[in-house]
Amino acid sequence: MLDALCSNILNRLNTGILILDKDFNILMWNRFLEVHANKSDKQVIGKSIFAVFPELPRKWFERKLSSVIQLKSQSFCGWEQRHHLFELSHSRPITTDSDFMAQNCTFLPVEVEGEVERICILIEDVTDVCHYQMQLNKVLQALALSNRIDGLTQAFNRKHWEECLAAEFSRARRYKQDLSLVMLDLDQFKLLNDTFGHQGGDKVLIETAKAINELLRMGDLFGRYGGEEFAIILPNTNLAGAEDVAERIRQTIANNAIDYKGRSVSVTVSIGVAVIDEQDSRYEDLISHADIALYKAKNNGRNRVCVAEKRNIL
Amino acid sequence: MNAFDLTEDQHDCLQELINVAMGQASDQLARYLDTFVYLKVPSIEQVKAEHLFDTLNNDLKATAVVSQGFFGYEGIRGEALLMYQPQDSNRLADLLGYEADELTFDEQIIDLSSILTTTFLNVFASQIDNQMSYSAPRLLSSSLDKINQHLKQQSFNWDFALKVRISYQVTDYSFNCDMVLLIPEEAITNIKTVIDRILADF
Repeated sequence: MLDALCSNILNRLNTGILILDKDFNILMWNRFLEVHANKSDKQVIGKSIFAVFPELPRKWFERKLSSVIQLKSQSFCGWEQRHHLFELSHSRPITTDSDFMAQNCTFLPVEVEGEVERICILIEDVTDVCHYQMQLNKVLQALALSNRIDGLTQAFNRKHWEECLAAEFSRARRYKQDLSLVMLDLDQFKLLNDTFGHQGGDKVLIETAKAINELLRMGDLFGRYGGEEFAIILPNTNLAGAEDVAERIRQTIANNAIDYKGRSVSVTVSIGVAVIDEQDSRYEDLISHADIALYKAKNNGRNRVCVAEKRNIL
Repeated sequence: MNAFDLTEDQHDCLQELINVAMGQASDQLARYLDTFVYLKVPSIEQVKAEHLFDTLNNDLKATAVVSQGFFGYEGIRGEALLMYQPQDSNRLADLLGYEADELTFDEQIIDLSSILTTTFLNVFASQIDNQMSYSAPRLLSSSLDKINQHLKQQSFNWDFALKVRISYQVTDYSFNCDMVLLIPEEAITNIKTVIDRILADF
């Protein structure tokens, strides 16, 4: 009577139960698996688990079960490490994009007189958990990104850019590497705003940032420093290299007028370049050297690149 | 001295139970992993909730922590934390007998944690005529900063825990890790009852 009750309950559990002998033949399974694998008892009972579920990673699976048999202790396999072991259908085929049931599997030793004779595998459907965790991860990633990015220009925002500079600065110090800084400012941006309106100004900022981005290499770190001021960290780059980059940026921007509502807007930039110096003890020193060079470029007539005064270069 | 402190006799008895369990566990592990596994003399102490992170952090600069809950009869339960250092990771798959491309690093340390925890605790449980069940092992975090944040964000609902720390060394693979068993207040009382019964039998 109790046996019948137990088997009734086993078949109504929303957890898969699979019992194997030591040669990995299936001795028993419950209705949950029968339904989700869509196979009949006849196709399964007495058969090798690898014949019934050819998708199983055989070597891994055998090693996993050998720990259960030898150590007589249970073992696990969670969805976060392996989304699924068995290719089973799941309960949210419409409202999730998961092909197969995400699973938490537990491998239990079943001892008979002190020896492990059988292995019981419990398979839980965690498609739901997996789905919501993925959603959460996506949101967290988007949030982390938006925390680093300037919404208008898609360059790094000031805060993140400065964190990058601090990290690059200490790395360059530690490994005695070059590190250059390029700071640039749009010329007469106020006049431009007055002429074309703030939306025109925004368009110029967006297009300028885009143009600069295309000229940079992997590893260069581009940020919006202030209103119309941008800054670029160039790791492993000496002063001559940085000056090259700056000059290319200046020319590209000067030679490509921006289209705003059918009107052609000519833009130029002034650029200051500096390289890390033995005397710089803080990354802020590097910024102020580049800044001074930038003001020199402005004072000498704009649309030009100026290099920070030579100090004791590393 | 508080209600959760062990007396000297209780402490010695627990130490002895753990020593015996360690011996058997290291023997089983050596046979399964096919290499010698050294377990260093355990430390048993009480920790306060607010000092939990400091005490874990002092033990080693862990970069990955795997947690697995255990629970047996008579209210014996707790949480096992397996703590890994970054340099430990190189030859884990090798040690476990897997091909390196068969599983990720996360999966390797989760697998190993589960093996170390359950092997030790199964033997320990049999010493006190008990039997353990385990939750699925979870990777708390693979970076120290996050573990720090994780623990600091908790407002624990316990004041004291019994902490048992055991170091594992697999010299052939120059691998070390620490197992820290944390037993919450209520379970300490239960474990003291069990220890007292064992002491009374002698």
